[in-house]
Amino acid sequence: MVTRTISFTLNGRAVNAEVQSHHNLVEMLQSQFALTGARESCGQGLCGCCTVMVDGLAVSGCLFLAMRADGTEVTTVENLATPKTLDPVQQAFIDCGAFQCGYCTSGFILMAKSLLAENPDPNDDEIKDYLAGNLCRCAAYPEIIDAVKTAARNTKPA
Amino acid sequence: MSGTVLTGGQVGRSLPRLEARAKVTGAAEYTHTMRVPGMLYAKMARSTVPHGRIKSIDVSAAKAVPGVYGVYTGEDIKTVIPDPYYGPAFHDQPILALGKVHYIGEPVAAVLAADPHVAEHAAAQIVAEYEELPAVFDEVEAAEDKVLVHDELKPATTFADLKHLKGRKDTNCALDFRLRRGDVEKGFAQAAHIFEHTFKTQKVLHLAFEPHASIADYKDDGVTIYSSAQGPSFVRTEIARLLGWPENRVRIKVPFLGSGYGGKLYIKMEALALALSMLSRRPVKVALTMEEVFFTITKHPSTFKIKSGIDKDGRVIARKCEIWWNGGAFADIGPRVTQKSGFTASGPYDIENVSIDSYALYTNLPPAGALRGFGIPQLVWAYESHTDMIARALKRDPLDFRKQNLLREGRPHATGTILKDAAIEKVLDTIAARLDWKKPFERGTGTVKRGRGLAVALKAVISPTTSVAIVNVGGDGSCTLYCGTIDMGQGSDTAMAQMVGEVLNMPAETIRVVPRDTDVVPYDMGTLGSRSLFHMGHAVRLAAEEAKAKIAELRREVGEPDGSNAPLADLFQKKYGMQAGNIVGTGTYKPDYIPPEAGTGQTTNATPFWMTAGAGVEIEVDTETGHVRILRLINVADVGNPINPRIVETQLSGASLMQLGFTMFEKMHIDNGQVTNASFADYKIPGIHDVPAIMENEAVEAYQSNGPFGGKGVGELATFGVSPAIANAIEDAVGVRLMELPLTPEVVFRAIRAHNNMPLGDE
Amino acid sequence: MTPFELLEPASLKDAIALIDPDDPTVRPMAGGTALMLMMKAGVFAPTRLISLGKIGDALTRIETKDGALAIGAMTTLSKVEHSADVAKYAPVIVHTMKRLSNVRVRNVATIGGNLAHGDPHMDLPPVLIALGASVRTAATKGGRELMVEDLLTDYYETALERDELIASLRIPAQGKARAAYLKVTTGSADDWPALGVAVSLDMDGDKIKTARVVASAATPMAIRLKGAENVLTGKAVDDKTLKAAGDAACDEAEMVADVRGSAAYKRELLRIYIGRAVRAAQQADAKP
Repeated sequence: MVTRTISFTLNGRAVNAEVQSHHNLVEMLQSQFALTGARESCGQGLCGCCTVMVDGLAVSGCLFLAMRADGTEVTTVENLATPKTLDPVQQAFIDCGAFQCGYCTSGFILMAKSLLAENPDPNDDEIKDYLAGNLCRCAAYPEIIDAVKTAARNTKPA
Repeated sequence: MSGTVLTGGQVGRSLPRLEARAKVTGAAEYTHTMRVPGMLYAKMARSTVPHGRIKSIDVSAAKAVPGVYGVYTGEDIKTVIPDPYYGPAFHDQPILALGKVHYIGEPVAAVLAADPHVAEHAAAQIVAEYEELPAVFDEVEAAEDKVLVHDELKPATTFADLKHLKGRKDTNCALDFRLRRGDVEKGFAQAAHIFEHTFKTQKVLHLAFEPHASIADYKDDGVTIYSSAQGPSFVRTEIARLLGWPENRVRIKVPFLGSGYGGKLYIKMEALALALSMLSRRPVKVALTMEEVFFTITKHPSTFKIKSGIDKDGRVIARKCEIWWNGGAFADIGPRVTQKSGFTASGPYDIENVSIDSYALYTNLPPAGALRGFGIPQLVWAYESHTDMIARALKRDPLDFRKQNLLREGRPHATGTILKDAAIEKVLDTIAARLDWKKPFERGTGTVKRGRGLAVALKAVISPTTSVAIVNVGGDGSCTLYCGTIDMGQGSDTAMAQMVGEVLNMPAETIRVVPRDTDVVPYDMGTLGSRSLFHMGHAVRLAAEEAKAKIAELRREVGEPDGSNAPLADLFQKKYGMQAGNIVGTGTYKPDYIPPEAGTGQTTNATPFWMTAGAGVEIEVDTETGHVRILRLINVADVGNPINPRIVETQLSGASLMQLGFTMFEKMHIDNGQVTNASFADYKIPGIHDVPAIMENEAVEAYQSNGPFGGKGVGELATFGVSPAIANAIEDAVGVRLMELPLTPEVVFRAIRAHNNMPLGDE
Repeated sequence: MTPFELLEPASLKDAIALIDPDDPTVRPMAGGTALMLMMKAGVFAPTRLISLGKIGDALTRIETKDGALAIGAMTTLSKVEHSADVAKYAPVIVHTMKRLSNVRVRNVATIGGNLAHGDPHMDLPPVLIALGASVRTAATKGGRELMVEDLLTDYYETALERDELIASLRIPAQGKARAAYLKVTTGSADDWPALGVAVSLDMDGDKIKTARVVASAATPMAIRLKGAENVLTGKAVDDKTLKAAGDAACDEAEMVADVRGSAAYKRELLRIYIGRAVRAAQQADAKP
């Protein structure tokens, strides 16, 4: 079974994809669904640019065999905003200037969302520990920490 | 000049980046993830020896791999591009190796396939045989010319001062810059104290997160190249030269750049993509993996021998600087690094007698180029460490000693150019004030010792360079800006739009900055060396002012009274009877500059503006392990009048954190020419836990009198002072002086042990 | 990467049957994070991968059995990290997880894969050795129980046969013992460790009744330092004892030089960090 048709849910929609055993999740999303928000950079799961959510858990898309997406729910950064609205994490990243070149931003935003789902009010150390697996060569780290805290404030239940 | 411009309230706004939404939604497009219909992927086979003549390249196994479209070597490239050498300063870099390989990792063959995995697998089947030649890796050894990296030097015609090197066969030296002011030997003879030290920096690299990528689509009547390029105008010139075509048949398009830091300047993968597209008659994508980036472009390692003579009153009266730059196998922009950094190698000090010799050297290592500072961080590392060492030896306060010798406004710099609009002293004073320098400092207890340090630097901007911009106001009154500056995260699109908005009295966020495309956007020299805000800023300002004058003319033409504020759309409506027409303003900016005199480096106009910045740190050292913790990092810079204060701050913060990595741990480990840690697993960059507990960034109040709206560049500034400030703080804490980067825990630990007469053995 | 056959058996028995002990290009795959890196780097090109991901419930359970904690081999590290049982039995594991690789890896990598990989830089093996943990294996010729310290035999080498898979991990009841793990990095803060030290202490008043001391990362594999343990046994925790334990550790541990430091330097780190880890264990909370 070198090539296989898999079925999964992508950003809320049921989809099929023809994948080869050695293709990873990022390649599949880019080549078959034109979703380029998850990007391969270091290629080793260390920078986080390729972050994708699979069944609600963040994974490194560059180290995740595409075939293993069969039967799962896959969510990408493209699913967070609507044409009119942004997710509070996205808005906080803008408000806090938490990116420069933007290449790593999708990954940071998905990880920040994942953190806030687990821990709605994280302190600085908790934010750092959770985001330590995401790197930013422009080094917007202080602004990113600020953005996560801002997003936490803005998403707290009333 | 800026004082005459009507204030539109846009300059000085901390506006979020114009492209913010595209970046947070994942919609921003980068070349590395782009696809073009019918595209083939290229993967390279690379040299396995540091220096050798190519005996054979066996591509048969690669060709036999199912799915391979074609396999090509340097000889194949010559069938479509007869003279396939490129480079900004020297035409020394072959598209694929020809005759000889110069470093481990040099591309020797390329495979094309529709599936990148197939191309990669096939490339691994290529077997090249070499007759190995002796290799040279150290820059000082390379200067002895015992092993010659290139058979013959091939300077490009771009730089007039390199012409004398054409055809030279006996040297590894791609440029020797000399500066002579006063009589340095006489100064040493008069000195009461003489200090001489040698400092070294290691090989590091940019590691922009988007690895280099270029897609070339060659047709007989023209070529389109999508590329992650910091200077599309230069790419177009160089591609047109390789093709023997006029520039108007070459189109370079640059989407968002996953940053650059100098690593995507001039020409990188574009020529290879072009040649492969010509050979295959298909669009071809060359997209590097992060590992390949380690074999593509790096930062110059350096050796800096610095000698100073101090008179009995503590004034530095003579300074001799000798710097060897390790340029690797191809010159890239190394000669510019060598010359422009050479300008300011004696530091931000007022020294009567100065001698500078700066050498660009070829070695058998991956090529080096510009990295956030054009060589300045390597120089500041040396001269600000040296300055501290002198102050300590003379039992002078390092701040007072610096202040006594500081170059002040109106005084001639070592080049002979008078210092103007460089707030060196204010920068230094601000750092000292933030550190409470004159107050007692808590030194730590037990095995953990605390220390503090500071450093200040000066840079001359690359010159002369040209920028052109177009401002286009449409029939509905909306405004579009065409400028070639590449926004790779530094926020230039936003700053440029703010300047247009300032002139035209429009909110910056309503102005569209068109994507970079050389068919549409006019010339710009390149996004480098913190030049854009000043140079392109002026071009943009001039274009907007011309548009503004034409709008005023249109107002009169359609009979609007003076001072009317009728909407622009109404003016077009009145003139054309419908929503139609354009007003186009253009601006070209090239500053005055007088090239340095050959042999002495003297000029009365070395730079259109000076750049100055510094850093202060408080650290603690775990004397049992050598670990250094940065408790506080203060970055202070003169950016003139900040156009967007928020973005300025993130630039200062980001640059200093990048330099923190170069200071504390980043290092390409090289064993006999082989890079042994070419991955993120083994080459570490700063992460979120490496951010100092306290970071402070400040742009001092300043105004660049010849700058657009008083502004000037910022991108490199906060890299300058970080390394020496930390080394100075380490000596302050534990009494050991480190003279080679990086300052790893082991290096610190070994120095402490040696200091205590218990040196740690090698093992 | 090149194409291969991906098989997803539904039972451990089927998985073992699919392994060809004579063909190194056939391998089992748990979370696959380490395997993917080897495949991407071209150091491993499989013809067949046997994914253990669909074996199901039995291998992903965390349960208490006879006073010990049993963790199925295919349990992800993040499930272990968030398990209330693990927090109760071995809070040191929860602490270690916070800085172990990263969240995304922990969401995919499994406890069995982590141990079977044999990478000396991993954070969990030294911790598990300090806790006296063992693994239960399954193999063609029948499974066995193996202490984690006996599982790891050398640099990237384990005692597992080619057709032998880790089925579960067993952590014995810790009683009043306290444990700590210290990770020493010499590059960025989140680099792979240059040295890892795990210590478990069972105190009798202010004296150490038993100590388990384990070094990793600087050593070819995670390894118990019995010389240091002997020095500590029966002593109070004071500077002199800790120094003696550090010296003993340095005498017995083999150090490997790499980009993270020379052997001589790593030995000095070990000398200091034995004492630091013992103090950290002494002060460790019973709860995470």
